[in-house]
Amino acid sequence: MRCGRIIVRGIVQGVGFRPFVYAAAVRFGIAGTVINHGSEVEITACGDRFDAFCREVSAGPKMAVVDSVTVEPLPEEAVVGDGFSILPSADGARTGFIPADIATCDACLADIMNPASRYYGYWATSCTDCGPRYSIIHAVPYDRERTAMDVFPPCGDCSAEYESPQSRRHHAQTIACSSCGPKLSLLTASGGEVATDDPIRTAAELLDAGHIVAVRGVGGYHICCIEEEAGRLKQLLGRPHQSLAVMMRPESLKEYVVPPTDAEREMLKGPVHPIMILDKVDPVSHTELSELHNLGVMLPYTGLHHLLFGHLNHPLLVMTSANAPGTPMITETSYISERMGTVAEYILSHDREIVNRCDDSVVRDGYIIRLSRGLAPLRTAMDLGDRQILGVGPELNANATIYKGGFVVTSPHIGNIRNPPTVAYLEETIAKLCSLTGAKPEIIAHDLHPQFLSTRLAHALAEESGAVLCPVQHHCAHIASVTTEEVVGIAIDGVGYGTDATIWGGEILTGSPADGYVRTGHLEQVLMPGGDLATKFPERMLYGILPDDATLSLLAERGWDAVSLRVLAQTVTKRFNSPATTSTGRVLDAAAALLGVCRERTYDGEPSMVLEAYAARGTPQPLEVRIASGSGGADVLLTSEILRDVRGRLACGMGTADAAATIQTALAKGIAELAVRSAERTGIRTAALSGGVAINRSIRETILAELARAEIPCLINPQYPFGDGCISCGQVVTAGVLAQEGKI
Amino acid sequence: MKKDTEVNMMHGAGGEVMGELLVTLTAFKHNNAGGIGLESLDDGSTFEIGGKTIVLTTDSHVVKPIFFPGGDIGRVAVSGTINDLSVMGARPVALTCAMVIEEGFPIADLEKIVASMDEALGEAGAAIITGDTKVVEKGSLDGIVINTAGVGVVDEDSYLIRDKALAPGDKIIVSGTLGDHGLAIVAHREGFDLGDQLKSDVAPLYTMIAGAVRAAPKGAVHAMKDPTRGGFAACINEMARKAGVKVVVDQESVPIRESVASAGGLLGIDPLQVANEGKCVMGIAAEAADAVLAALRSHPLGKNAAVIGEVVEGSGVVMRTRIGGERFIEPPMGDPVPRVC
Ligand SMILES: [Fe+3]
Ligand SMILES: [Mg+2]
Ligand SMILES: [Zn+2]
Ligand SMILES: [Zn+2]
Repeated sequence: MRCGRIIVRGIVQGVGFRPFVYAAAVRFGIAGTVINHGSEVEITACGDRFDAFCREVSAGPKMAVVDSVTVEPLPEEAVVGDGFSILPSADGARTGFIPADIATCDACLADIMNPASRYYGYWATSCTDCGPRYSIIHAVPYDRERTAMDVFPPCGDCSAEYESPQSRRHHAQTIACSSCGPKLSLLTASGGEVATDDPIRTAAELLDAGHIVAVRGVGGYHICCIEEEAGRLKQLLGRPHQSLAVMMRPESLKEYVVPPTDAEREMLKGPVHPIMILDKVDPVSHTELSELHNLGVMLPYTGLHHLLFGHLNHPLLVMTSANAPGTPMITETSYISERMGTVAEYILSHDREIVNRCDDSVVRDGYIIRLSRGLAPLRTAMDLGDRQILGVGPELNANATIYKGGFVVTSPHIGNIRNPPTVAYLEETIAKLCSLTGAKPEIIAHDLHPQFLSTRLAHALAEESGAVLCPVQHHCAHIASVTTEEVVGIAIDGVGYGTDATIWGGEILTGSPADGYVRTGHLEQVLMPGGDLATKFPERMLYGILPDDATLSLLAERGWDAVSLRVLAQTVTKRFNSPATTSTGRVLDAAAALLGVCRERTYDGEPSMVLEAYAARGTPQPLEVRIASGSGGADVLLTSEILRDVRGRLACGMGTADAAATIQTALAKGIAELAVRSAERTGIRTAALSGGVAINRSIRETILAELARAEIPCLINPQYPFGDGCISCGQVVTAGVLAQEGKI
Repeated sequence: MKKDTEVNMMHGAGGEVMGELLVTLTAFKHNNAGGIGLESLDDGSTFEIGGKTIVLTTDSHVVKPIFFPGGDIGRVAVSGTINDLSVMGARPVALTCAMVIEEGFPIADLEKIVASMDEALGEAGAAIITGDTKVVEKGSLDGIVINTAGVGVVDEDSYLIRDKALAPGDKIIVSGTLGDHGLAIVAHREGFDLGDQLKSDVAPLYTMIAGAVRAAPKGAVHAMKDPTRGGFAACINEMARKAGVKVVVDQESVPIRESVASAGGLLGIDPLQVANEGKCVMGIAAEAADAVLAALRSHPLGKNAAVIGEVVEGSGVVMRTRIGGERFIEPPMGDPVPRVC
């Protein structure tokens, strides 16, 4: 007989670790105890098959992430009785973390659909393998009394299952059934109760009849309707052109989108159940759902969704998060009737508190676009030293990251930090991350942009706590989020404040976070007439890049009045309120304007997305790009020449789709060429790619192919978005590396 | 951000960067004469003589161009000082005028400037009673700098008004359209042909303000300030910060001239972030707001006065937008930097 103490560290909470250990102990005839310390599970074990037991528990249950396992001898005084038992949780060192919310598993779905099961038809059925986690937790360790489930004491049947080592729901903190668990209600927009014995069935009938219904989900509210009502919904939301995400049954996918790859299919129906951007079968179909060539689809991921689709006659539901663009998802029922009362006619609500808001994650081509439900909080092991670090992120598409004791932890997507509710949400999220990880940040990293509200928040937090501030340039953060190694970094992006106080966004940054990055290449500097106004009206940007009479007459043809044209021209000649930028996004905006496919931006990224949709149906023509030598020896890609060249071809009859494809490909090849030149000059033969423009498939794949041709491997961080969802991580990594070097 | 070691143009733009410079420039230990002192950074300062509160203020003026639609540097110099006294509840009595003139400056222009100053003095019932003149070599300044200082007295039927005493529940009133001066100056200076005629609002506000203050019970005007450099945005943020309160502004009710809005739209300039030279911002006890508003509107300079928001607990300044969203009204930072991704 052998005895010992086994300590398993990692994500060991909320994943059914203790029942898993219990089951193993029973199987291997082990006596002892298991206790959850929040971030580690401590097992005291005695038995003849100790080693086999040890191997078994080291792997952990399905949803666990095991960082380390140590086995030590039992102290002399330890007494191990007969049998095996689970001890109540204790507070411990918080190096572990709470898992993200998990989509309803197949076993639970079978229970919900099985008339013989006591979970038949119950919308909030879950087990140790599935159900809400992050969205319901107040504090660690993860036990029912520290979650939103605290107010639903389990009934006798649920308690029995919870206690039974034979059950799949042994120690499942979210266990609940229709007699003891959270309940649904169907309300009118003003909050009055709708009389029904089955709120889900009635909601499905209302949806089928064309009503707009707000549905309270795991991490917030969705606004739902059938496809036929999508146009009306967009008008009501004031988002006339933005694509809407949809939810459908798996068997309906083939009607709308080209078949996902096996890996994509696994992800679609796996624990995450993200929104996946897939190409439409017919690129110009279903335009009320998406004016682009692709569509964001997800499969039902909670019991509520499965039941709703069980009753629904239509093949799909629009499911867009209930909030104004860039602001936090709405979680409260009172708030939904106040703010969305003019949009939603009915509200399908439940009485389980949403403690932590969490949007749907978005994935495209296997890359994460929005890091949120099911993926975040994201925890990665990385040694950045002993000091605790907070990264407050950028301003748009932001999240927050904490480093403590060997782990980088990133929050779910927060939004655009430029209005009071989102700033408040960022502050809340930071406080939450600190409390869940037990961190007290000693270093606060932030963007270099002086006017970002996140920068101001960093200053305020540092003043309060005495933490050291560490400003990190936006694109350096992009590259640092990919790797700490020395690389030729390719940051292709919208806007970032550069170290020279101009606006960057198409940068080759060569170096490492430890030694800093040198700007060895960039796009041509062009003007943004009217500053941010040029992002709203891409035709301004076109004139910023091609400030000549041909552009003026093109704009005149499109109906610009004489005064506006004259002022636009004067603005550029005088360089009045026309900051210089090397942004890649602005070049794509200008291209969309040149082709006349997007004249006003009504949502983030619209011009470049529309351009991509056109390019997807076109064939790129060869176009020789020119690279000039800039200040400090940097290579400069002359983007104005690409646009001028294509403008000439348009005049000679080139089609819009081919023109779009030609511009994208030329730009991508030019960017790759900048990177290759930097690699050759510096001898650094590894590249790294980040920035929101890399979401564009054709641009990304062209760059990667060109680099491969030059035999330069290119790193990508598959755990983080290309866009600004990686910035808080990059900030933390940079600050950590600098701190370790003694530079902070 | 790194602290600057030399003064640059951002330091004069009235934004946050200027605040940093002010720390250096107000490091006087002798800064108070028994009333409101330099440390308050209010529109003016006070001391007592014979039981009367005397308000003192000073301002130097450089405007490019010197003559612009709606006024000139002289009218700005007099109005600025009179308004600083008026927003403190004082009656402007006497002003000084110091001019530093560049060699080669046309005498005819000086005549026009003096006449314009005299006209503004007449509108407010004040007088310039002493002055000073220096002529400097060509190139050592751009045309002319005019400094005016002013003395005012807080009359029996008025009271001293600070810029720091906003209280939750107060209504925020502006005395008219915002952004007129700043956009007129920009358009004229840069030679933009905007089609519409933009005109500066520069005017001495004493009679308008005196009427409004007397229209409500004593003390009902809790705070007042003139939104000059940095515009309404800088002004309201300073008022909110000094009082430790939050101000919520309703976008719909902010008066902005059509021509100013469209000029701002063409140039990418926010009318709330540019100077006004003939407006004041008031925080009024809610029950007195109607009376004050009516008094303002009965004056020719206050025709477009409006209640634009209110004071609540908290901090910062927030604008409720037309579509039901919220955004911060931020103090300008000198030059705007693009931030849209
Ligand atoms: Fe970025
Ligand atoms: Mg003043
Ligand atoms: Zn399950
Ligand atoms: Zn139960």
